Amino acid sequence: MYVLRRLLVAVPTLFAVSILAFWFVDMIPGDPAAQLAGNMASNEEIAAIRSHLGLDRSPIARYGLFLKGIVDPEIAVSYRTSRPVVQEIGERLPKTLIVAVGGLVLGIVFGVVTGVICALRQGGWFDAIVTIFTLAGISMPIYWLGLLCIWLFAVELRWLPAAGATTPWHFVLPVVVVATRPAALFSRLVTANLLEVMGKDYLDTARSKGLSETRVIVCHALRNSLVAAVSVAGVQFGGMLGGSVVTETVFGIPGLGRLLVEAVGSSDYPVIQYCVLMFAAVFIVINLAVDLIGQWLDPRTQENSSATGYGRP
Amino acid sequence: MQPLLFFGFLARKMILALLVAAAFPLAAQAAPDGSLTIAVGADATTFHPHVNSLPVGNAVDMLVFEQLFRMGEDNSVVAQLADSWGWSEDGMTFSVQFETGHVFSNGNPLDAQAIAASFNQLLDPNSGSIYAGLYASLGRAEAQGEDTVVFHLNEKNGHILMLLANSAAGIIDVKANAEMGAGYGRKPIGSGPYIVDEFIGGERFSLVPNPLYKGDVPATLEKITFMSVPEDGARMALIETGEVDIVDRVPADSIEAINDSGLAKVILPDSMFSISMELINSGALADPRVREALNISIDREGMIQGILGGLATPSVGMVGPGTEDELRATFASKPFDPTRARELLAEAGYGPGKPLPLVVTCPNGRYIKDSQVCQALAAQWQAIGIDAKPQVMDLSNWSANSRLPLAERKDDMTMVGRATAGIDFTLYRLFKTGVSTNISGFSDPGVDRLLAEGRASSDADAQKRIYGEIQKIIWDANPYVFLWYQKQALGVADRVKNFVIRPDETMVFDNVSVSDS
Repeated sequence: MYVLRRLLVAVPTLFAVSILAFWFVDMIPGDPAAQLAGNMASNEEIAAIRSHLGLDRSPIARYGLFLKGIVDPEIAVSYRTSRPVVQEIGERLPKTLIVAVGGLVLGIVFGVVTGVICALRQGGWFDAIVTIFTLAGISMPIYWLGLLCIWLFAVELRWLPAAGATTPWHFVLPVVVVATRPAALFSRLVTANLLEVMGKDYLDTARSKGLSETRVIVCHALRNSLVAAVSVAGVQFGGMLGGSVVTETVFGIPGLGRLLVEAVGSSDYPVIQYCVLMFAAVFIVINLAVDLIGQWLDPRTQENSSATGYGRP
Repeated sequence: MQPLLFFGFLARKMILALLVAAAFPLAAQAAPDGSLTIAVGADATTFHPHVNSLPVGNAVDMLVFEQLFRMGEDNSVVAQLADSWGWSEDGMTFSVQFETGHVFSNGNPLDAQAIAASFNQLLDPNSGSIYAGLYASLGRAEAQGEDTVVFHLNEKNGHILMLLANSAAGIIDVKANAEMGAGYGRKPIGSGPYIVDEFIGGERFSLVPNPLYKGDVPATLEKITFMSVPEDGARMALIETGEVDIVDRVPADSIEAINDSGLAKVILPDSMFSISMELINSGALADPRVREALNISIDREGMIQGILGGLATPSVGMVGPGTEDELRATFASKPFDPTRARELLAEAGYGPGKPLPLVVTCPNGRYIKDSQVCQALAAQWQAIGIDAKPQVMDLSNWSANSRLPLAERKDDMTMVGRATAGIDFTLYRLFKTGVSTNISGFSDPGVDRLLAEGRASSDADAQKRIYGEIQKIIWDANPYVFLWYQKQALGVADRVKNFVIRPDETMVFDNVSVSDS
């Protein structure tokens, strides 16, 4: 019931996003028909292409078609390829997911493990090394790091392919590069949260019950400190889906980010509009998932949700 | 068949034979052997010849489709399916007799009906063809018998062979196109030596030999794979590591590394891409002295070496090399004479007390180092007392700005690169009075008259004289600040033999072979 209620609340949000996506994209300077026709096309030729694309219809009529296209793929077609946008997205989404999910999982695993160790060994050499790497991970531009990795692992060492998406080996470098930022963030976050809860009474209670220090850390301290980390993971994942263009461009991966940027460059309005709508839907689902995981990790948040009207009955 | 004047028919046949021999000297009849991988910066989205506008798409279309005529390796017109051709007496009908027996890769016959249907779809703006306007003078195509197609022209046009040789005139299987819809753009059905075997959007596509091919230039390779790698650094890494055999758009600073890799060398063929600052020929810029001053006050060679890394050659005419070279005229390049430029400006009434204000628009990322060139141009014009302000725009805004009516433009010039296969098309579209693509507002009744004469004439000598005259007028009138022709830069692995790229940036694989090492 809670999930259903949240999804129903999302409908007006998506409707608002659809309005913004359609009108904002429609206001982008440049004419899709002129882009297709090239810079030697006459106004009459551009007008003919505009008519073929349906751009000579009223904005309201085009918005109606845009909404209809959500359920009818034959209407929602790319200006550049004439293929349904759902096919374009469906072709690109798996590659973006591989990089985003792979990068997030690797980042979480690395971040949590190093975060716990740093919390337990504060001030030691491991903490110092991880601090250096996490600072570098947070501040290093992905673009530069990607090129650096290509130079080292592809050109110099010849261990991995430089670009492309043909084999699983092609995804190793992009996943590692994408993982740097979440790994650094999680590492600092988990360390800080663990240090905050380490002196709490409930951990002493757990220890007094005879639990091992590892169980105290993993089952009690870490679980509570992960609530904030899960929220950050949700935001990171959403950002990875929408902002994957740099990684995809550097490594030649045909993902959603590149599709979106190419669509903007060629004024392929339907692709931009439906991608934005899809990203909004994904963010809503991610937020819901983050809330559910947060409630599982910390049942007290369920009560807060009830108080705000979003909780379970 | 209606009466036709097949004038010079025998001579044409002989020339045709020579051209074909010159264009396909190594047409191997041996079985295809080896595979080739190419990394390109552009992202091909469709190979449908009526919609494609990318050079990489042109390269694929040349392999997948046959045409009545096609472009040779030097951008000259050569016959492909056409056996003989000619105009009617009144010049309003053009007929082509072609070689029969060819079939599409799905087994459908490539007959007169199929060819006429293909052209009629190309000419139909409602089909989504982006070239319907360019080909409008072809009028309507009609099948006559089994081996002849007749074009009922809308206007006299002596440049029809050039139109028919453009890759947009590839002969598609209209029936298969109707059945496949948008899928035809990815796996088109043609009658050329290759078929598209695989297309993964944004990543790669590959071609394999067409087992039903009947022509004279069969596939030489077992597989040609194109990878889309937009990032320059990653693309260059692919050739340096030997992962691919050819890369395009090699940046100037990567040439040395590729040449030193021991695996590949960079080739720098000419491109027909002619880069100019297209002036708005009104207000202060209506004065020819000001336009000349702008043209002679910039150090083209210095900018080419210092900014473009040598990847250009200074302009010696409006159109670039490979643009119908038999009609192209070249002149002495514009001198670099800031002193004379200052004098001209003073004669026109501009000087330290009254600087000429100019807004100089350039795109960012459309041409080689375009935004840096913009700054350099403004600086050189500032050096002779012009109040020049560079205005670098993103591609969408730059494109929209170029298409504004002249009265609404807030700038004084914009950087544009022009590259088309035809002299007639280029000059008509850019310099005919009132044509919407004439964004400089250039107007000269003499040029208008000559353009009309040149279009209607099918006599080679007359065309050469007419277009030579037009190009001279334009070069002297300075409606643009003529900058340079871009050079192409491609990394080609040592194991690749007989690879050619045309001045229109279309790769030609007719005779390509690869060695094992």
